[in-house]
Amino acid sequence: MTAPPIKPSLLSRLEDLHQIPTIPAVLAPLLRYLEQPAEQLDVQKITDMIAQDKSLAAQCLQMANSPLFGRWQKVDSLRGAIVGLGMQRISDIAMSCGVLNLAPKDADGIDPVAFWEHSLGCALVCRHFARNISYPDPGKAYLAGLLHDIGIIVNLCKLPAEFRAAFEIARDQGIPLHEAESSVLGFNHCHTGHFLANKWELSKDLCDVVSRHHSTYEDSEHAALIALVEIADLLCRMSGLNHGFIEKREVNLLDQPGFAALTAQCPTLKDFDWARLTFELDSYMDEVHSLVHAIYRK
Amino acid sequence: MTAAPVQSTLALVGPPDSDLIRIRDLVYQVAGIFHPDTKLRLLLERCGRRMKELNTTSLREYFEHLTVKPTRQVELVALLNEITIGETCFFRSQPQLDALLQVVLPKIIEAKAKFPIRRLRIWSAGCSTGEEPYTLSMVIQEEAQRLLKDWSIEILATDLNERSLAHAKNAVYGTYSTRHLSQYYKQKYFTPVAEQLQVQPSVRNAVTFSRLNLSDDARMTFMKSMDLVFCCNVLIYFDLASKRRVIQHFYNNLLPHGYLFLGHSESLYSVNDDFNLVHLPGATAYVKRDRSLGGKLNL
Repeated sequence: MTAPPIKPSLLSRLEDLHQIPTIPAVLAPLLRYLEQPAEQLDVQKITDMIAQDKSLAAQCLQMANSPLFGRWQKVDSLRGAIVGLGMQRISDIAMSCGVLNLAPKDADGIDPVAFWEHSLGCALVCRHFARNISYPDPGKAYLAGLLHDIGIIVNLCKLPAEFRAAFEIARDQGIPLHEAESSVLGFNHCHTGHFLANKWELSKDLCDVVSRHHSTYEDSEHAALIALVEIADLLCRMSGLNHGFIEKREVNLLDQPGFAALTAQCPTLKDFDWARLTFELDSYMDEVHSLVHAIYRK
Repeated sequence: MTAAPVQSTLALVGPPDSDLIRIRDLVYQVAGIFHPDTKLRLLLERCGRRMKELNTTSLREYFEHLTVKPTRQVELVALLNEITIGETCFFRSQPQLDALLQVVLPKIIEAKAKFPIRRLRIWSAGCSTGEEPYTLSMVIQEEAQRLLKDWSIEILATDLNERSLAHAKNAVYGTYSTRHLSQYYKQKYFTPVAEQLQVQPSVRNAVTFSRLNLSDDARMTFMKSMDLVFCCNVLIYFDLASKRRVIQHFYNNLLPHGYLFLGHSESLYSVNDDFNLVHLPGATAYVKRDRSLGGKLNL
């Protein structure tokens, strides 16, 4: 699809991002803290950081009790959850709850719940997929999956009418959302996500995922991470964890650019059981659906 | 077995039992049917029924029945029977049918557009009591004035079991088989017969039933020029070598643009490398790895 030129008026609206919800104050320092080697991390310090935001802490506890995060016995304290699930898992949960609160509750007639279901689903698939192919950093893969579509938040907040027009084209024609965005806006959520990722001061690899997961990225030093997200994103969009509509097309994952990029880093991918991953993904759907509804609607 | 241990595990309040996971993996490895975590309860119930028969009290012991004991082959088939029991019904997989109508048929029509004969051949391989081919017949009829206008459609349905075929030809079904049927389809394509429903002749006449053993190499070679093959929960009973042979026949029988549909959560992983898995909206299917032979269609 040939993209029309970007309208200057749209660009000027994007330059002013101060109305975009900011990442919850507690998450930026938490993310930076977790970049340290695991042996230097302190459970109490993480508990204190999350507990600063009471609402976030309550949501974290709710999510920590979901089977999606491997918790089979009820925990009733944040500290208990961190001890039981591990620090990485709790940071995943905190980030998930944090971003789920960001989008407007209703953006010009579009219900953003589906986007969050897609993002949380994609995060879980990224982590699961990463483990299965021995990708070295499943935690990073989770974050990348969770955040890859944050550009949609910008579009919902700053360009609601134009975004709705794009969304309706995508839904009615059953085409990928980024293609419809490009035809209506002249750019897609990768471009707007790039602005937001910079504003949130996300790490370089996450910035690359956010801004390049629908374009060529072979020259990126983070190509494997982007490829992993590209494939997980596609799997989710072809399943019930889509953007709220069905893409009417056929996808062969082996033909995706991401497949070659990822195989270079994870040779086991050549013999990977895609069917099993697809069946496993099916099992997330109900739980993702109820979690997102429980947390986002509060 | 006593009810208590199964009940407590049924609740799945703790992490899944490691022996249940081993049984899940064994079933997937042997039969290609995968039970995701959300379906483990179902697998447990099915194992529970077999365990009761065998008077076995633990999953570990039952796993040994499936892997070590001399009767393991028989027990595996018995478990597979439990797994597939009740699977046959009309509109068994709506996402699969949606994908067929929204993506697959338009692609096949496009691939065949350059040929003068507008004909589709669909094969329900292992059709059991006929619900699958009749479902296909109904959705095809619904498209007769739209997507498939001016196309002639042939639906072939085969099974090994004579009794199943007789049931299929009689086309009378009870409430269990018809549980997914909408009012629209019930009223349009069925006639009440006592407490049951009979498929109307327009749907029945579009399907040709015949007896076929999928392991019969000679007869399998005659099932030529297929656009679509549906083979749901049939291959699970074949050993790996037989399964490979059947799949190779499907490969040879399908046209280059053709599709092979298996049952929901059924996989060809490690069985055949000539087919590629493709993702359709809400469903998966298999297509030939080399689909570039479109110009050599033998119609």
